[in-house]
Amino acid sequence: MFGAGAMTNSIPEIRDAELLFVIGSNTTEAHPIIAMEMKRAVRNGAKLIVADPRAIWLTEIADIHMQIKPGTDVWLLNAMAHVIIAEGLQDQAFIDAHTEDFGEVIAAVADYTPEKAEEITGVPAEDIRQSARLYATTKHAGIYYTLGITEHTHGTDNVYCLANLVLMTGHLGRVSSGMNPLRGQNNVQGANDAGASPIFYPSYQRVSDPTAQAKFEAAWGVDLSPNEGQNLNQMMKEMGKSIRGLFVMGEDIVLSEPNTGAIEAGLNGIDFLVMQDIFPNETMRYADVVFPAGCFAEKEGVFTNSDRRVQLVRKAVDPPGQARADWRILCDLARAVGYPMPAYADPSEIYAEMASLSPKFAGISHARIAEEGGLQWPCSHVDHPGTVTLHGDGPIKGKGSFQGVFYRPSAELASPEYPLVLSTGRTLYHYNSATQTRRDGGLDAKQSENFIQMHPQDARRLDVANGERVSVISRRGQIGAVVERTRSVRPGCVWMPFHFSEDMANRLTNDAGDAVTGTGEYKVCAVRVEQFSG
Amino acid sequence: MSDFEIMIDGQTVGASDGETVLTAAIRAGVSIPTLCHDPRLDPAAACRTCLVEVSGSGRLQPACAWKAQADMTVVTENPRIKRHRAVLLSMYLADHALDDEGLPVERPNGNQLREMVIKEGHAFDLVPVAAPRGNREDKNPYVQFNPDACILCARCTRYCDEVEAVSAISLAGRGSATTISTVAERSLLDTSCELCGGCIDVCPTGAMFEGKAPVHAPEAIEKVRSTCNFCGVGCQLDLNVLDGKVIKVTAPPPGTTVNDGNLCVKGRFAYDFVHHDDRLTTPLIRRDDGELHPCSWDEAISAAAAGLLAVKKNHGADALGFISSARCTVEENYLVQKMSRAAFGTNNCHQCAAT
Amino acid sequence: MEKKGSKRQAVLDALTGQGLSREAMARVAELTGVPEADVYGVGTFYTLLAEPGPRVCQGLSCKLAGGDALAEKLEAKGTVHRVSCLGQCDRAPVSLGENNRLDVAGPRGGISPDNPGLVMNLAGEDDPSYPALAWARKMGGEAVIDELEASGLQGRGGAGFPAHIKWRAVRAEAEPTKYVVCNADEGEPGTFKDREIMLRRPQLMLEALAIAAFVTGCEAIYIYVRGEFPEETDALKAALAKGGLEDFEFRFIEGHGAYICGEETALIESIEGRRGMPRLKPPYPTQQGLWGKPTLMNNVETLACVPDILLRGGARFLALGKTEPGTKLYCLSGHVNNPGVYELPLGASLNELVAAGGGFVGTPLAFSPGGASSGVLPMSLADEPLDFKSLAAHGSMLGSAGVVVLNDTVDMAWVAQVQAVFFEDESCGQCAPCRIGARLVRQALDRYLQSGNPDNLEHIEELAWEMTEGSICGLGMVAAEPAVTARRHFSDHFGVRP
Repeated sequence: MFGAGAMTNSIPEIRDAELLFVIGSNTTEAHPIIAMEMKRAVRNGAKLIVADPRAIWLTEIADIHMQIKPGTDVWLLNAMAHVIIAEGLQDQAFIDAHTEDFGEVIAAVADYTPEKAEEITGVPAEDIRQSARLYATTKHAGIYYTLGITEHTHGTDNVYCLANLVLMTGHLGRVSSGMNPLRGQNNVQGANDAGASPIFYPSYQRVSDPTAQAKFEAAWGVDLSPNEGQNLNQMMKEMGKSIRGLFVMGEDIVLSEPNTGAIEAGLNGIDFLVMQDIFPNETMRYADVVFPAGCFAEKEGVFTNSDRRVQLVRKAVDPPGQARADWRILCDLARAVGYPMPAYADPSEIYAEMASLSPKFAGISHARIAEEGGLQWPCSHVDHPGTVTLHGDGPIKGKGSFQGVFYRPSAELASPEYPLVLSTGRTLYHYNSATQTRRDGGLDAKQSENFIQMHPQDARRLDVANGERVSVISRRGQIGAVVERTRSVRPGCVWMPFHFSEDMANRLTNDAGDAVTGTGEYKVCAVRVEQFSG
Repeated sequence: MSDFEIMIDGQTVGASDGETVLTAAIRAGVSIPTLCHDPRLDPAAACRTCLVEVSGSGRLQPACAWKAQADMTVVTENPRIKRHRAVLLSMYLADHALDDEGLPVERPNGNQLREMVIKEGHAFDLVPVAAPRGNREDKNPYVQFNPDACILCARCTRYCDEVEAVSAISLAGRGSATTISTVAERSLLDTSCELCGGCIDVCPTGAMFEGKAPVHAPEAIEKVRSTCNFCGVGCQLDLNVLDGKVIKVTAPPPGTTVNDGNLCVKGRFAYDFVHHDDRLTTPLIRRDDGELHPCSWDEAISAAAAGLLAVKKNHGADALGFISSARCTVEENYLVQKMSRAAFGTNNCHQCAAT
Repeated sequence: MEKKGSKRQAVLDALTGQGLSREAMARVAELTGVPEADVYGVGTFYTLLAEPGPRVCQGLSCKLAGGDALAEKLEAKGTVHRVSCLGQCDRAPVSLGENNRLDVAGPRGGISPDNPGLVMNLAGEDDPSYPALAWARKMGGEAVIDELEASGLQGRGGAGFPAHIKWRAVRAEAEPTKYVVCNADEGEPGTFKDREIMLRRPQLMLEALAIAAFVTGCEAIYIYVRGEFPEETDALKAALAKGGLEDFEFRFIEGHGAYICGEETALIESIEGRRGMPRLKPPYPTQQGLWGKPTLMNNVETLACVPDILLRGGARFLALGKTEPGTKLYCLSGHVNNPGVYELPLGASLNELVAAGGGFVGTPLAFSPGGASSGVLPMSLADEPLDFKSLAAHGSMLGSAGVVVLNDTVDMAWVAQVQAVFFEDESCGQCAPCRIGARLVRQALDRYLQSGNPDNLEHIEELAWEMTEGSICGLGMVAAEPAVTARRHFSDHFGVRP
């Protein structure tokens, strides 16, 4: 692997790519504006390879669509690596100069032939070969992925496989190439950057690193814990056990986290829940105190986007009623428990404090962004222009290391009792728990109820008609959905959005998490579909 | 970095291979009127307002499409060009909804034809042509079309094809009956339209407009530049504020921000939530009856502090969890982790989108 | 944006006979990979797709011969569309029935008597051995182009551009894929000469296309015939079926009812399956034409001259002309005794042409030398040469040599209005000067004819100036010419009812 989890390249570079390898990203719906850049690249002659279990919109303009069975990404990607190595298409000069442990990958992928991969993934061996060749031999070739890669119990393995492809072909430190995770939310990147992590302080400084600990203790004037905390997935499972009190800001955990039933049980088991949000939500049923917060139009601050671009959020209107900007509430709460939060005049001072403790952002300030527009980190000092392409100055600092990865099946596979594989995701017209988007007439008119995409073969076998409401049942729960018969899903696979609070897809999903990140396996769980029953 | 030089109105301007006269002129600060030009689109040269004299051609040629060539001479202002613009604008006026003063009507997003007529003048008044364009009511609340304000520059249809790539609208019909249409004049909701609203954004005359936004004079609003709060692209947008309310969202000009002037359906239209009646407007506290009740900020903060401290006291700091939000700002995430670590003493802090 | 592997060029054929319902659009979109709205936009552009069924001609010559009465009669019997000139002016008035076959029509018009000395000699017979192609193969491409240059052959589609320059340009293009296109979308009101070549001497044109493909190294030959000419397409296909040109790939494209597709770049757009809107030039088709490849496009008559030029020499062709090279097919209709197509030396006068066509009917007042686009001229010019240069000097043009004679029973304002309707209907609508201007001119004439008040025409000259200056293509540039020239030359007969 190399560097921090962020797009190595920039969004505006996409239009100049010669090849786009999009995997596990329904870009037109989840990142419409990035998709526009991809469409422009294709219009300009770029090749497009899409790997996705569904015939998503991008496949209409794709050169190759590898319609992979959910959860078999490691097989597909290792087979591509196998082809590249077998045909000698790797960039040996780059490998020699900038990487280590290539031998691990050679050994790991030796048995991952395209023919065997075809059996496991359902993707024709020839398509795997063609994709591998195109990717390896095209200079400006970028990989773009999102939650279809990470929301698996083997999500980290998937990412390693992609990194192996990038490293062995030298697609790093070069414009319109690289490894590009597209962030799902406005400020996922920024939240990570700011240290909203059980293992990192701001700027990816480890809590277990005594030097970092000492630095933050000095800055904040208190003793800090050197123990890594629980990640979100662990906390959710530990509610009512080791976790007894919870503060939740800006998330409806009941709707958004996998295995809703377990979440509800956990919330019933804790002593105290504080919630801070802009709308009532499902989690509020369990809250002891609720803080009304300000939405993005009502406060100042910055969001950091997928390509590490720090941009200003500006206050346009006042929060309604007594609602207050989140940062003010947080300061008051901290002070109420006796911690002397400084009297920040406004968020620019908060940012300045963070920047002073964060090498990656040290050169960034609200004033600079207001003057120059968004700044991309790393930006180490006030004269630094920001970084458009990571690893541009000599591909990588130090060596990128290969990781040999072996396929592990998803935690839950189809069985006679639960014969269909369910993946969940986002649609263009709604956003996450849809507390915002379902309050907009046009979006709700376009898409107002939960649906399940099902191949006509399965629909015939189950004798369910297009538009018919059915029950979808997993080992963890049952919800209703309206059937959309479509050939865009594979036979045996179904797909459902997670936006609808009356039919919460996460009552079905599996909370088994990735060993490293704890991310839940939203993309694969086993279900069955029956005639609707309340 | 220019490949060669051209002369525009007596001024020497550097230009590069493949560049149009218009882009070279813009860089040189020479203003040439245009209506159908958009840097994101292939040139159409349909509006004809940018015609100029170029050496080597007897006809007037469109600056937006004519390629700059070494040693070319361009004239953008002379009696012939003035006459052309004035008569052409007279023709446009005969084919456009006019206000009481005989100017093209003002539209919520402005009307560039109106501005152009005010600046360039027109030659004479003509009887309106009343072209048969059809009038379409569309049941979607976002994208509406008023053919009387349409100049058929096709920016909307070209954007829909070339940028958004869904081709939900097209030029339809022919001659003076040419109009903008969906397939068989269906509602956009029943087409491939993804309601990105780019057609509204590119329309120079406000023929495409946002149905749910209130009618107002363009200068009545304050535009506040901000960052979209939905996905991770980080689109820059302008919150249009009127009387303390966000009444519309528009995109910054193309070429200035990461989104190149584009927005999606959520970024452009999903702002109703800001002023929605369902917003939480007061702190709430769960009382003995098991229900949440409004309370003061002081009471809410004290109760929250006491509740969390009690957990810490009874079970230790690591019995607390702090879930931060990828929806909130960097500063707020910084404060949550600082609060978690410094005020409560635990690293059990994670943002919601742990991916 | 089209799907990967879409078949856009199949859109127009797929639309034929489908109507424009949402269901039909969905079928065509599914079949071709072109988005539905795009398919709809294409369909609504072409009258044969948007308004299929019987049609009655409203061209000037048909109107002079009772086209309105015929239209009313047919309308009383059922649905019939009043449409622009159907290219049957010698048989006026005419209507088409189902499948675009002639329904009501007069007898076939006249042609020049058989004379082997003529270049095209419509009354002659085709030589199935394709001797000019053999000559070209023997002498090589350069020799062919040299001979064309020596002949002075000017394009017969209307612009009069020297043929050899286009041929040489396409031959010189390094791009391996090139195309030859025959423009047989004859639609200029008053013009029906290409029709006669296709019906009577199809091999002349086919042979020239084969020669052109050989000389320029093109991989396919497209023949774009207007949809209202099914018999002409049949004649070409029958001639081809006789054999002799198997080495060449001929592809027939049917027009779908849009005059503007006679403009070369609009024609290319139409072949590609798009709305027939002219492209911006440059690039010219010889550089980037069909599917962006170098394309040689010639009119039917231009091509039909080529075999004779090769077989009997360019010098002979050059010498045949009176004021400019070669012979010319002149179409003659309106107030004359024997309407038809007459092959005369280029530069023949109106009086010479009408002599060939049996003389005037009534007292001649005016003539239109080259279709609607050429405006109208007074009889004082009846002895002037009908060629490219002289007519241009008189503010008119030879164009397609669709000569329409008008006698003193007609009101020239009415003539102008008939032509204005044509241009308004046939404007593609792409650029503002033409789209708005054509309608403004027609409406002004309507109001004038209703009221007699000349104030209604106050700005016509200025509009015409702007249409010429500002329009993208030639249609808009000339669309106001009938009105302007009718006023200029016929103040005594303008607004005077017969």
